[in-house]
Amino acid sequence: MNAPRSGPGRWELPALRLWHAALAGGFLVAWLTADEDTYRMHVFAGYWVLIAVALRLGLAAIGTPRGPLALVRPGRSRLMIWMGGILMTMVGAAALSGVVADAVTSVEDLHEGLSEGGLWLIPAHAVLVAWVFQGKRLREKVLSTIRPSVVPMLVLLGLVAASPAYAVDPARDAILATYAAAAKAADGTFGGFSAARGEQIYRARNTVNPDFPSCATCHTDDPTRPGRHAKTGREIAPAAVSANPKRFTDAEKVEERFNRDCKTVLGRECSARDRGDFITFLASK
Amino acid sequence: MRSIVVGAGLLLSLTAPALADRVAPLTDPVTLKACGECHMAFQPDFLPARSWARMMDTLDNHFGESAAMAPDKAAHIRRVLEDGAADRVGGKVAGRFLRWVAPGGTPQRITENPAFLRKHDFPESEWARPEVKAKSNCPACHKRAERGDYEED
Repeated sequence: MNAPRSGPGRWELPALRLWHAALAGGFLVAWLTADEDTYRMHVFAGYWVLIAVALRLGLAAIGTPRGPLALVRPGRSRLMIWMGGILMTMVGAAALSGVVADAVTSVEDLHEGLSEGGLWLIPAHAVLVAWVFQGKRLREKVLSTIRPSVVPMLVLLGLVAASPAYAVDPARDAILATYAAAAKAADGTFGGFSAARGEQIYRARNTVNPDFPSCATCHTDDPTRPGRHAKTGREIAPAAVSANPKRFTDAEKVEERFNRDCKTVLGRECSARDRGDFITFLASK
Repeated sequence: MRSIVVGAGLLLSLTAPALADRVAPLTDPVTLKACGECHMAFQPDFLPARSWARMMDTLDNHFGESAAMAPDKAAHIRRVLEDGAADRVGGKVAGRFLRWVAPGGTPQRITENPAFLRKHDFPESEWARPEVKAKSNCPACHKRAERGDYEED
């Protein structure tokens, strides 16, 4: 038997820092490249993050039991251990769901949600680390002005930070505002969009194209249900916002679809008012 | 040892003809998304570059519907399709389809090429199955078609 080591190896703290930099860097790259154009880089960074998370467990196994690489260190704040665990689980789950989403597109929403959650946990993690390590001075300063305990305060902070992620989509409002401005410019008497007029467009039976007589031909009579391309059979995500929150949030795609489908189904261009009415109808469904 | 070699050889010879029904998967994300929104994003190996050029020039009337898109996006997809076209990349599958294309011809429907028809000589009832719906719906029967694998299932 060797004599018991007096302390952790000298490599352990640098290894921890290097690992932290790799994880943070990987997450940053994945976040910045979460777009169609940079999809390959995003996938690469995602796997990098996943490997980093797995590596952390490996490092913990080879590190000194009470050293810097241990997952639970005696004397360390409970809150920090919990935060580390939750953050790692969240980031790991986000990366893992990304791997699945690469093959199964329906998992994309889950992947986005988990990544968003991980993103909000990071500043909370930073605040906590600053709190614990900056020590007494910071603590006393804040605590002397505000007495309530730290934990509920942090929870509150996290909730406030996370709420915008679940709010009404500002992108859809911006698209509607653009159409409203164009409709007003075209007709001074324009007095706002109407879900009823939008519904008329959606349900009307047209004669221009026998393959596609109505919007409902592909999107079904109940827009909250998934549709099906009348000719190719390709599944179409529900048109109604309540069933598909991503609807009408990508201005470029919205324009493309109106430009195409109005011509195909109605045999004409849709005006800005038509477009706004249509969105208003499907946002109300 | 000898039996392993023989076994491996036998296995290889069994898979070899199947490999002939494969093309490189389409990987460009913009092309995959734009085409795949309405139908399977077909690998460009089945048509010559001039056919793809014509297709991207006539998106206003894409098999009876408008598939118009922003010019820069169309230009990008056009490049991807032309670069991967049958007469640019070659290969077994591309050669089989190209054989039936007249010099200078710009066919648009892959499903009308005799190379396709000879292998899909089924009664109408097969095509009418609800999960098939259209001849362009390769993955209905070829589960790995979107990965470029058209082996029989």
